[in-house]
Order: sequence, then C-alpha cells, then structure tokens
Amino acid sequence: MNGILSRETLVKWAPLMVLLILVLFFTVLEPRFLSVRNLARISVSAAPALMVALGVTFIIIMGSIDLSMEGTVSVSAVIFAFAFLYLGGTLFGLAWLALPLAVLVGAVIGLINGIVHVKLRIPSFMASLAMGFVGTGLALLLTGGDRIRVEDEAFRGLLTERWLGFPIMVYVAIAFVLVGWFIQSRTTLGRNFYAVGGGEELAHASGLNVSKVRILGFMLAGMFYAVGALLAVARIGIAETATGNNFMFMSITSVVVGGTALWGGIGGVWNTLVGVLIVNVIGNGMVVIGLPGYVQDAVLGLLVIVAVVLSTDRKSISFVK
Amino acid sequence: MNLERIKPHLPWITLVSLVLIVGIGDSNFLRPHNLISMVADIMPLFIMALGMTLVIFIGGIDLSAQSVANMTTVVATVALPTFGIGAALLCVVAGLAIGAISGFITTKLFVPSFVSTLAMGGVAYSAAQYLSGERALYMDATLRDGAFGWMVGSSFGIPHEIFLGAVLLLGTLFLQSRTTFGRALKAVGAGELAAVASGLSVTRIKVLAFALSGMLAAIAGLLFSVKLSGGSPTLANGFLLPAIVAVLVGGTPLTGGVGGVVNTLIGTLIVAVIRASMLYFEIDATMQQMIFGIILIIAIASTIDRSKLRVVK
Repeated sequence: MNGILSRETLVKWAPLMVLLILVLFFTVLEPRFLSVRNLARISVSAAPALMVALGVTFIIIMGSIDLSMEGTVSVSAVIFAFAFLYLGGTLFGLAWLALPLAVLVGAVIGLINGIVHVKLRIPSFMASLAMGFVGTGLALLLTGGDRIRVEDEAFRGLLTERWLGFPIMVYVAIAFVLVGWFIQSRTTLGRNFYAVGGGEELAHASGLNVSKVRILGFMLAGMFYAVGALLAVARIGIAETATGNNFMFMSITSVVVGGTALWGGIGGVWNTLVGVLIVNVIGNGMVVIGLPGYVQDAVLGLLVIVAVVLSTDRKSISFVK
Repeated sequence: MNLERIKPHLPWITLVSLVLIVGIGDSNFLRPHNLISMVADIMPLFIMALGMTLVIFIGGIDLSAQSVANMTTVVATVALPTFGIGAALLCVVAGLAIGAISGFITTKLFVPSFVSTLAMGGVAYSAAQYLSGERALYMDATLRDGAFGWMVGSSFGIPHEIFLGAVLLLGTLFLQSRTTFGRALKAVGAGELAAVASGLSVTRIKVLAFALSGMLAAIAGLLFSVKLSGGSPTLANGFLLPAIVAVLVGGTPLTGGVGGVVNTLIGTLIVAVIRASMLYFEIDATMQQMIFGIILIIAIASTIDRSKLRVVK
C-alpha cells in the first residue's frame, strides 16, 4: 500500500482529522462551542498542560518516558511563589527574577532525574516516577500543606489581559511551541533526540554520546515543566503541593494521542499541540454538551489505549513489559 | 563473604536493624501491643503490595492499584445497604475485571503496562466519582458491623486484619511456590522470550497476574474502607508509592524473576517501621513522602538486574 491511504499517511494525519471531527461534532451539538469565549476557555486550560506535554515530547521521542512532571511542576510553582513574594511580590520590582529562578529549578530537577536514570541505569519510567514522588514530597515539605497566593496584578495579567479575545498566556504558550519546534528541528540536540529514539545502538555506534543527550533531554523537559508551572500559577493565582496534580495523566495522554509513538523516533511538537487540543476539546466539549465532568478520566484512559494501539506496528515487537 | 551472597538477606537484616534502632531510641516501641497495632495498621497497604508483587515479578508494574482501591472503597460503601456482605464479592469482581483488562491490553495489544494501568486507573477513578456522586460517603455503623465486623474485630489480642493479611499471604505464597502458575510466573519473570519458546501460554499467565493484582488492590480498598467506615474517590491516595517501595525494599527487583510475596511482607514491615520511627524521632510528617521517594530510588538502584536490560530506556 503506497497510495495516499497508506498506513503511514493515515497515522500521520489521523490526530488532526480527529481534532477537526471533534470540533465539528461539538459545534453541531452546541453552536456556542465555537464562540471566541469558549475557544479562549479551552486555550487557557490547555496552555499549562501544553507546556508540560511539550517537555515530555522530547523524552518520548527518545523512546524513554518521564513521569516526574507532577512533582517538578509543584516544586517549581512553590519555589516561584516564595521567591516572588520575598522579592517584593510585583513584576515591576525585582520579583521578575522569580520567573527565571523557577525555570532553573525545573532544569535542576530534570538534571537530577536524568542523572539518576542514566548513571544508575534505572529505566526512565521508574526513575522519573520516584523523582516525581520526591518532588511532590519536597513541595509538601516547603509549604507544610499551605497554599501560597500570588495576587500581583501584573503577573495575573497573563490571564486577565486579553488580545483579540485571548489571554496573554495563550500567546506565551504559542511562543514556547515555536521554541520547542526550533529546538526539535534546528538544533543538534533536537536531531539527536530522534537519533536516539530511532535506534539507540546505531546512534551510539555512530559516535553519539547517548548518555549526554538523555540527561540534557530530561533537563530540557524540566525547564518546560517549570514554564507550565508558571502558567498554572498565573491561571489560578495559587501555588501549592497540588498544583502539579493531574499533569502526568493529561500530558502523557496528549503526547500519545497527538501521534508521537511511545517507541520513539516519530512525532514532535506539532503532534503534541494537536494532542493537547484533542484532550482539552474533549474535556470542554463534554461539559458544554452537558455530560458530567467525571467521565473525562475514563474517556482519556480509553483514548490513550486506542492511540498506543494504533501507533504500534505489531509485527516488529514480540512483547512488552 | 561477598556482596552477592549477602544481598538476598539484606531485607530482613534491614528490618531487624531498624526495629532495634527505633527500640533503643524509645523502648515503648518494642511493647507487643504497639508492634501488633503497627502491623494491623499496615495491612491494607500490605495486601495491595502483595498484588503489586505478582506484577513486578513478571517485570511489569501496576499503577492502577491505588485507583482500584479508591474505587472499591466507594463500591463497598454504596453496595453495603443493598448487598450486605455481598458487597465484598462485588469489590473483588470489580478489581479482578479491571486487572484482567489491563493485562489483556498489555499482552494482546502491546501497550506497556505503565500506560495500560495508568489508563485503567483513569477508568476506575471515573467510576468511583460516578458512584460516589463526587462526595465522601459514610457507612452505617450497624450495617457495617453486621456485614464486615469480622474484618476489624480482634481475637486473642490479635486484630483480625492481621489474620486476613496472613490468609492472603499464605494463599499467594501457595500460588507462587506450589502451583504450575507460580512456576510459570517465575519463568516469565526470568525471561519472557524463553518462556514463550518453551511453550508456556505467556498471555494467560500475564493476564492472570494483572487480574490478581487488581483483586488484591480491591481487597486492600475494601479493608481500608471498613476500617475507616466510609469511602471516597480519593480515600486511598498515598498508597501507591509505599506499595511499590514495599515490594522493592523487600527484594523483588523491577526486572522481575526473583523475590516474591514473603519478601514483600518484610518490605511492608520496613515501610511500617520507617513510618513509626518518624513519629518516635519527631520527624515532620510532611517529610515522609520525600523520604520514601528517595528510598524508592535507592531500592531500585540496588536491586535491579542490569544484565537483563540491554539498553536502559
């Protein structure tokens, strides 16, 4: 089958088709779905998740997995909030320094995550899951279970200021998609992710320092999680241990549904953008047409299974763990 | 004496040393009454860890255990007025079904177990929210005592939770060491391709392992809900990390094949003693999760069989 309907073409465009069909479906059932107001609502809830999903995209392209996002997001959010308030609590003062600090925190956690995975030779899903638990624990230790309010108007402007009907944080998110796209397609590191994912032994044999690429990948992912944390705090105005809740399930689902294969080597940031939109359109659309919110986790669970099954070439693998 | 010879004995040596350290720090810890109630309190976690052991033993993982337990706290509470003790059966069947579906998705559809169980966990969570109406529910005290009083009473000074845990331990131990299923489990854990080549029905074995894990997680949830006399979609949150820690600290490595349910008993007791010691040494409870996370990393790193992993992904 080499025609337009070959398996590869289908797999490549299926996520976008699914997104369009979903949008059409919800619009037919409830025309208000397509109003600027509702689209803005979808993009605001998608923005933090998109940042986290972009980070884990690079890891999944390498054929690894990162489950540490909940902990990393919580720690970055909490440290950001503490630093922000300590430095005066307004973006127009020194407190803007808390923004790069949060990203630095994300990078450090990602770095430790990568080192634990690569140097101790622990499979990434378990190393990162454990690091995620440590992160959530650290956030709990730092806050003692309290919520920290960030009420600075300039910072919350990410949510409250609108251009063309959409809050600024949506444009920030789009800018970071472009950054991710640049890293993926125009940098050596980005290309190396694909090399590792396409075949680790071959990449190693051609002289690539696979360990270094992996560690840098986890560090980069940590930085994107921190950006996600900043947007999440801007969205609700609160930093707490629970800030990171649900990001793991959401982001992994989004990446996989977008068409980035768990086996690595295929997909990228555009797939993730489509995947995050699919997940959020489903979440929003179900509420708009009047379905209860609690169905969402089940639907996402089934969706991720279908996506993995469709993206798997079953002739090439003998078993999975 | 080299390290490889000592390694299998490390879990119980750790346990005994920890007990002694805490005991020297505060001799009240060593009172039989205190030790017994500590063991009784850890039983729901132990039962969940038993199930987790079977899945890790074949080289997989069950991330849905906590959600399944959450779901059964709700199922038990909702079904109690109508079905009485039959509510227990509903819980067990629900756990078995969810585990079996995870196993099927993993083996037949080639979805890695951490994804399939995460996804089925989402399904279980939705079911729990639907059944509970997104609230915390409480059991009627007389109904609870009538149907499940036997679970939380005590005989000869020993709480019944411990008997329940012991029965399940003996059951899984029998499965593991005295049945062909147990042998097959070990074969799959030691090398899946070799197990396939020797004609074992690997699919059936793996699906059964996941189903048993789901069932034991459900029993853990049931016991927990009877103990707390209620249910909610988040009641058992915080179980997943210590359950995985218990299996790994006990000496069943992530790569499977060695260890087993007795190791998990030791691992669970280590978790219990560490928790208790934090109380005795007045370490802030907010540190607990971080400490267990770090212990998890150490436990994985020191037990994992790296010769089985050609590339570490």
